[in-house]
Amino acid sequence: MDARQIMTADEIRRAIVRVSHEIVERQAGTAGLVLIGIQRRGVPLATRIAAAIKEHEGVALPVGALDITFYRDDLSLVSQQPIVKGTAIPVDLNDRTVVLVDDVLYTGRTIRSAMDALVDFGRPRAIRLAVLVDRGHRELPIRADHVGKNVPTSRDELVKVHLAETDGEDAVRIERREGAA
Amino acid sequence: MAETARVAPMRIGEPVELLEISRAWLVDPVAEREGPGEIVVRDGVLEAMTWLAGDEAEGIGPDGVVVAPGFIDLHVHLREPGNEDAETVASGLAAAAHGGFTSVCAMANTTPAADEPGVFARVRGAAAVSGSPVELLLHGAVTVGRGGERLAALGELADAGAVGFSDDGSPVQSPVILRNALLYAGMLGVPLFEHAEDPALTAGAEANEGYVATVLGLKGWPVAAEVAAVERAIVVLGAVLPDAPGARLHLTHLSTAGALDAVRRAKAAGLPVTCDVTPHHLGLTDEWVAGARRWAWEALDGDGVARDPWADGALVAHPYATACKVNPPLRAAEDAAAVLAALVDGTADAVATDHAPHTQVDKEAEFGLAANGISGVETALGVLLAAVGARRLALGRAIEALTTGPAHVLGGRAGRRGEARGLVEGAAADLVVFDAGAGWTVTAAALTSRGTNTPLLGRELPGRVLLTVADGRLAYRDPEA
Amino acid sequence: MSAPAGPVGPSGLGAEVAWTQKHLLDVDVLSAAEISLVMKTTDAMKEILARPITKVPALRGRNVTIIFYEASTRTRVSFEVAAKNLSADVVNIAASASSVSKGESLVDTIRTIEALGAHMIVMRHGTSGAPYLAAEVFSGSVLNGGDGWHAHPSQALLDLYTMRAHLGDLRGRKVVILGDVLHSRVARSNVWTLTAMGADLWICGPTPILRGFDAWAARWANGRGPNGHGGFTVTSDVDAAVADADVVMALRLQRERMDAGLLPSLREYAARFGLTRERLAAAKPDALVMHPGPMNEGVEIAADVAVLDRSVITEQVANGVAVRMALLYLLSGVHGGAPEGAIGG
Repeated sequence: MDARQIMTADEIRRAIVRVSHEIVERQAGTAGLVLIGIQRRGVPLATRIAAAIKEHEGVALPVGALDITFYRDDLSLVSQQPIVKGTAIPVDLNDRTVVLVDDVLYTGRTIRSAMDALVDFGRPRAIRLAVLVDRGHRELPIRADHVGKNVPTSRDELVKVHLAETDGEDAVRIERREGAA
Repeated sequence: MAETARVAPMRIGEPVELLEISRAWLVDPVAEREGPGEIVVRDGVLEAMTWLAGDEAEGIGPDGVVVAPGFIDLHVHLREPGNEDAETVASGLAAAAHGGFTSVCAMANTTPAADEPGVFARVRGAAAVSGSPVELLLHGAVTVGRGGERLAALGELADAGAVGFSDDGSPVQSPVILRNALLYAGMLGVPLFEHAEDPALTAGAEANEGYVATVLGLKGWPVAAEVAAVERAIVVLGAVLPDAPGARLHLTHLSTAGALDAVRRAKAAGLPVTCDVTPHHLGLTDEWVAGARRWAWEALDGDGVARDPWADGALVAHPYATACKVNPPLRAAEDAAAVLAALVDGTADAVATDHAPHTQVDKEAEFGLAANGISGVETALGVLLAAVGARRLALGRAIEALTTGPAHVLGGRAGRRGEARGLVEGAAADLVVFDAGAGWTVTAAALTSRGTNTPLLGRELPGRVLLTVADGRLAYRDPEA
Repeated sequence: MSAPAGPVGPSGLGAEVAWTQKHLLDVDVLSAAEISLVMKTTDAMKEILARPITKVPALRGRNVTIIFYEASTRTRVSFEVAAKNLSADVVNIAASASSVSKGESLVDTIRTIEALGAHMIVMRHGTSGAPYLAAEVFSGSVLNGGDGWHAHPSQALLDLYTMRAHLGDLRGRKVVILGDVLHSRVARSNVWTLTAMGADLWICGPTPILRGFDAWAARWANGRGPNGHGGFTVTSDVDAAVADADVVMALRLQRERMDAGLLPSLREYAARFGLTRERLAAAKPDALVMHPGPMNEGVEIAADVAVLDRSVITEQVANGVAVRMALLYLLSGVHGGAPEGAIGG
């Protein structure tokens, strides 16, 4: 299993800082923003982005976590129910601008599920998307507003994001999928 | 079998032209002898039976081909007339032959009940039409319609050849009727086969009252229901003897230590009591209702206490299998051990199968609503041989329990075989040949009975019946033998 | 068929594992890890129930047929609400015993339900073991909503959830079940779950309705039970049972027990075994009071006890919906589908 590193810890840090600036710039401020991380790794990323915004804007934005397990479109295809990790939305989403945060944007199905979930919580004024890595191969008409790094990949590759909070280190690697030619 | 036997081709029902088995383990319970030997059957007669010794006997053991007298089953349900979907006389006799039985005693709980000779005639007619050489003996009902209120035509039934009187399926509830039946039957010299059960204690009962029933939430079938009924019956017997010295009480399918103890004491006191036990009560336990599938002797720990199937990982099948539902119920391992011990020490005179075939419809229901009964005539030998193989029972004793034991119970009314049941030179051949070293898997296809309701489905049993000869005619032949 | 309890983690629960049971007919087959999974999934379901829209599409397009052969509005509706919250299509049948006597066997009914498109059946039946028969003839999943005296898995699991929500780790905690245990599937299922969790379980009632439980407890004493841990004591001494209890669960006593000649009278039961304020005083000051419902106030439980602050009886009902959602969700996943694909991002 050969893995090549495509982002180091420093590159991740810089990307997060840049994205956090972009979010504020796009909103022309911080009013009405709420960051919602998609379980699992979107959650620590959302927390880090909020911390960066606090540092350069002095404002502590609300951060939530969203588990999209119940909204997946492939539940009838998997052989066991995926294990739920938990949702916590700290504020009323009506009229807010929600920035969804995830580690990797690939087919777009996770984001579609996330949007379905969000509308059950209320009616946001707008929903935006910030991801650490965009690896292409969209299957739905979904695009990210803020991207840490664009990484062209082939379908038989896996993009693995490791974060200190969940995996003990910061790194992004590409591996060949097991069993691939 | 090819190496040690020569068999002329023949069809079921036809006289055996020639059968030579030159190296087999012969078991003759009448002569009280077993060992290496050879037999020759010619034109239906057991022409020669020779015991071998010395070099000729080399290599012949009880784990190979065994020849024994044909078995007698004191207790089968043939379901005809009235419930032919479950079994007919023809299919029942064929099943019996597959099990090695050459005589069976059919119980009277048909529809209509066999409470008068007309029903006997019907059943015998069906047997004649079937062409089976297996001997069909008949029990008459004790009471009209088995309703427990008026005595049936006992004298007429005796004249028509009844070998016993029984309301089996039900006990004779009223002590007055029981006493009068014993007196009358004693006058006729016919034994009374009592299904000992106190119905007040068993109303709605589903499984043996005990640990398994408690955990499974099943209504308990207390041991006391059998013990109390047995003790009462013995007391009544004692009371009638002065007036009817010929009275005889036979307790069928005893399943509890308490009941067998009562019989032991009664015999010691000289009372004319006999009893039989079923293979399922000595080989299986109430654990099977929870989904265990180990033999009763494997379910006891070193101190003779029943193991906990939930703690042992012994549960390998679904619980509540209705094939395990039977009356009397499968009991705890301690009672099964007592049944086996009673067989070993002779308290139990015979093994009788209580063959109770049922249709799938009657068994495919909620446990509490399913019919009671196990289709057992074809698996009896296998269960006994499993006990023999586990060194819990001697082969000789097992064969006795299937031959001389039942003959003794039937006494003078034992049919064409008479009191004894042995391998008699010069008499019509009545024997079973089985390979104790081979096995067979119990499947619906392998069973001849219409009733496939046995918890042994899917299990491999020891002892493959190769040939059954009844009254000199072929009754069963293993397709591959 | 019955799985070992497995290692017990720091919170008293096993390490997490994926759900592989196709049916849920009893709790005796659940390992500590599987129980832990149910608890965690219930947490997620409670969160959904706290939302403005208490609905997720997890079971969209699935047909859940609820068939209850015994009258029970509360549990039947609880299952219906649970299934609907997961966006399942629900068919709710209240079959009376008369449909059995009319000649339609259980097997026929299950086959009909399958032919009508059910993916999952939730079943309550008056005969112990009936769901096992259903599971044999139904190609989908069967969830036992209570069978005879035997088992009531969702009740035991919601009882456990409720206890854990207040007490956390149940190891060593004294839990008393007081009442008609002989006829109680709730009691039997709680015996399995509570001993699996290492609780110190006491069963108490008048001797005739403890029949069989003494022998059960004797077998499981000293950790010899299949679960290996937890205490199990059976007694007719109410005061000994309730003393210092962390949880007191009262079970309904039915009038039929008197008619069957089992006990003298309801009044006598209430006097000797009823859970009154005086009796409850012997328990710990903040001991939980529980009851699976419906209650016979004044018999097994005094009216003023039922409404105490520490009575969590209404909480049990709310938790019931969440637990049932969790069970429906977990069971619906086991249907031999394709192996987990790359859902991707």
